Amino acid sequence: MGIFMGLLEELKELGVNTDEGVQRLMGNASLYERMLGTFTKLMNDTPIEIEEFDCDDCGELIEKTHALKGASGNLSVTPVYDAYTEIVNLLRQGKPVEAKAAFEKILPVQKEIIQCIERHK
Amino acid sequence: MENKKKILIVDDIEINRVILSEIFKEDYEILEAPDGRRALEMIGEDQNISAVLLDLLMPEMNGLEVLREMNRQGKTETVPVFLITAADSQQMLLEGYHLGAVDVIRKPFLAHFLKCRISNVIELYGHRNELERIVEEQVERLSNLNRSLVETLATVIEFRDGESGEHVKRISSLTKILMQQVSKMYQEYRLPKEEIDKIVMSSILHDVGKVSTPDQILNKPGKLTKEEFEIMKQHTVKGCEILHKIPHIMEKGLYDYSYDICRHHHERWDGRGYPDGLSGDDISIWAQVVSVADVYDALTSDRVYKKAFSHEKAVQMIKDGECGTFNPKVMEAFDACIDKIERKNRRNREK
Repeated sequence: MGIFMGLLEELKELGVNTDEGVQRLMGNASLYERMLGTFTKLMNDTPIEIEEFDCDDCGELIEKTHALKGASGNLSVTPVYDAYTEIVNLLRQGKPVEAKAAFEKILPVQKEIIQCIERHK
Repeated sequence: MENKKKILIVDDIEINRVILSEIFKEDYEILEAPDGRRALEMIGEDQNISAVLLDLLMPEMNGLEVLREMNRQGKTETVPVFLITAADSQQMLLEGYHLGAVDVIRKPFLAHFLKCRISNVIELYGHRNELERIVEEQVERLSNLNRSLVETLATVIEFRDGESGEHVKRISSLTKILMQQVSKMYQEYRLPKEEIDKIVMSSILHDVGKVSTPDQILNKPGKLTKEEFEIMKQHTVKGCEILHKIPHIMEKGLYDYSYDICRHHHERWDGRGYPDGLSGDDISIWAQVVSVADVYDALTSDRVYKKAFSHEKAVQMIKDGECGTFNPKVMEAFDACIDKIERKNRRNREK
């Protein structure tokens, strides 16, 4: 079993729907791997600080979380996608406190997924 | 090598662009833009884009702004635009549809469905654009055929009365200048460019009825007798009879203008013209304009019965009513474009 399969299996353990993700890329598993690398870069380049949730109109934060939601959804990084879907919805409803709680909950899972992908680079 | 159709993917998130690119790259050439501004530049530079996949939420010029600009430029008529969105803002999607978006792609993408939907629409637009191109080509061909027909008819009469075909060309260019001026100056005579173009072409046929005028009258060097003048006047009605026999080979609008101009280009504002003795605005504005152009050209040309008058003299004679009374508004327009008319007339005669 190669490194690549190891990555997929590990991600599966973390709740990532890798089968669906590969399927989204027309069955191209190696492209999926590359895209996961791009995904970690996006996550690192779009850091979200917990303090950002202490916002009034939260426009910028909505943009950031919306982008992460879209990218994670397209790669079937399901736990991250589900969490950011909820966060975006809560922010749009003007509930930053609840959104913050959801963010705090996903943060360790998100970190674990990113570390896993980076380990297999 | 087969020329692939092009798809432009507009999304600020690289992952989304790559996924879409992967889905379509086998069948299409992929162009990518990371923001709306760049997308518009690419759409402007490349006329062969077959579809645009447009993300709605982008930091630098969002999807709706891009769509609005494409709509303004008329691009959404020929290029299908698909909105990409993860958001469920009904308001935005509705506005997107109103601005000409053809469909909405929801994130996360489902490759196979997406491929089918977009390919179907691209094919449909391709067929529609091709059909429109064929129709345009045929309209153009028909228009050229009309022009050839009109010019052929006009040339027949030009050869008979000793002119070389230049008279009708001068009439049409003077008609164009004066008609544009009248249309510009007076709301009640305002006409779109396409209609003015038809009037200009129709003006060529104003004297087609002269084919029925006997040579000895048409080319008589001296003044016509009363009887001869009566026969000469018949060319207006005879022209209509000729046109009446060929309506099916002329486009409807062109036929109507030609018929009216043929019959009424010798009517006068005060009702003292012929053949119907119409007066005022009972005479169509196009027939009035051709009347002035015809008189000006006749005055500034050599005829078998007279020498050409100078431009200044001709203008003075028209203004003084020596060639009949014209609509004061047409006279004002004539005055306003007199220099243009003089320049055009001079250039026409230098050729």
